[in-house]
Amino acid sequence: MWASCRRLRALRHWSYERRETALCALSLLLVCVLSACAFVLPAALLLPLAGLNGLLVIHGLLRRGSIWGVLKLGLVQLSITLSLYLILYGVEHLAQGAVVVARIILATIPGWWLCITAAPERIGEVLSAFLPTKWAFVVAASLSLLPYMADEIREIYQIQCLRGARITPKALRNPKNWSELVYCVLFPVLIQLLKLSRQMAVAAQSRHFGLAQRPTHWHSSRDKND
Amino acid sequence: MTKKIPLSLQDSLFVGFCATLLVALTGMLRLKLGLSGHSMFLMSFFYLICYGVLGRFGSMTACGAIAGIVAMALGVGKGGPMILLKFALPAIAMDLVALLLPLSMNLHWRCVILGIAGCIAWAGKVALTNVLAGMALDVVLIQWGLSVLKGGFFATLGALLVPPVLTRLKAHDLLHRDKF
Repeated sequence: MWASCRRLRALRHWSYERRETALCALSLLLVCVLSACAFVLPAALLLPLAGLNGLLVIHGLLRRGSIWGVLKLGLVQLSITLSLYLILYGVEHLAQGAVVVARIILATIPGWWLCITAAPERIGEVLSAFLPTKWAFVVAASLSLLPYMADEIREIYQIQCLRGARITPKALRNPKNWSELVYCVLFPVLIQLLKLSRQMAVAAQSRHFGLAQRPTHWHSSRDKND
Repeated sequence: MTKKIPLSLQDSLFVGFCATLLVALTGMLRLKLGLSGHSMFLMSFFYLICYGVLGRFGSMTACGAIAGIVAMALGVGKGGPMILLKFALPAIAMDLVALLLPLSMNLHWRCVILGIAGCIAWAGKVALTNVLAGMALDVVLIQWGLSVLKGGFFATLGALLVPPVLTRLKAHDLLHRDKF
C-alpha cells in the first residue's frame, strides 16, 4: 500500500515534469514564430502582432519582470535610426523608420517574455534533446559548475587583494590598474579551469563515460521524494 | 591543426567552461556598464584562448555555440533565440578566417585579425536584423560601420591580451602543443 502510494506520487511527479518541459518547448517555438513574424509580416498586419505582444508584456509584467531594458534598447534604436533617416531622406520618410524600429522591438519582446516565464534549466533541458551526448554532458557540467567557479574566482580575487594587488574596487577606478586585474585574476582562473577540465575528464572516463551507445541517466532519489 | 582525432573530453570540457565563464562575465559586466560593444572584448578573448589552447578548426565555433546555449539557459540578455546567433556568428567567422591565415604569421597579428573578423560578423548580425526589418540600406551601412568601430576597439583590446596568456599557460606546462 505504502509502496504503491509512493510509486503513484513518483509517477505524478514525473508526468508533471514532462508537462512542464513540453510547455517550455512550446513557448520556445512560439517565441521563434513570433520573432520571425515581426520580420516577415506586411506592415498592415503589424498591429495585430503588436496586440499579441502586448498580451505577452502584460503577462511578463504580472510575473514581475522588468521591461526597462527593452524600453531602453527601443529608445536608443529609435533615436539613432530616426536621426539617420532625417539626415539622409528628410521628414517624409520618418514614418518608415519608425515602422522599422517597431519591427525590431516586436522581435525582441517575445525573447524577453521567454526569459521571464520559462525557468532557465527547463530551456537547457529542451535544448539538450537536440545535442549529442558529449556536448550535452559538457553543457550540464559547465552549468552546474558555475557556483563553484564563482567561489573560485572570489577566492583568487580576495587572496590577490591580500597580497597587495591593486585590484580593489577603489583602485580599479584608475584604468591604469585594469591590466593588473587580468594578470592577477584571469591568469589563475584559466589555469584553474584547465586543471579542472582535466580532473573532470579523468573522473568521467574512469566511470566509462562515452563507451556505451545509449548513456543511462541517473535521477537523484531526492527529486522523487520532494 | 594537423591532428584529425575527435575532440577529447578534456578539451570539450575546457571549451564548455570557457563559454560559461564568458556568458557569466558578460552578464555581470552588463550590469555595470551600459556601453555597447564591450561584449566583444570578452568574446574575442575567450574564443582566441580556445583557439590557442586547442589549436584546431572548430574549437571557436564549439565555444560560440555552447556560449549561446548557456546564455539561453541562464537567461542572459533579452534576445531569446536570437542570442544563440549573437554568440555563434562571430565564432564561425573567426574559425573560417583562421583557416586562411598562415601559421607562420606572428601570433599577435593573427589574434588581432581574428578579433576584428569576429567583430565584423558580430556587427553583421545587427545589420542582418535591420535589413530583415526593412531598414534603408544606407542607414544599415552607417549603423554597421558604427558598430564595427566600437566593437573593433574592444575586440582588438581583448585579442592583444591573448598571446601573453598563452605564453604563461605554456610556462605552467598546461598546453600540449609545441608551437602556437
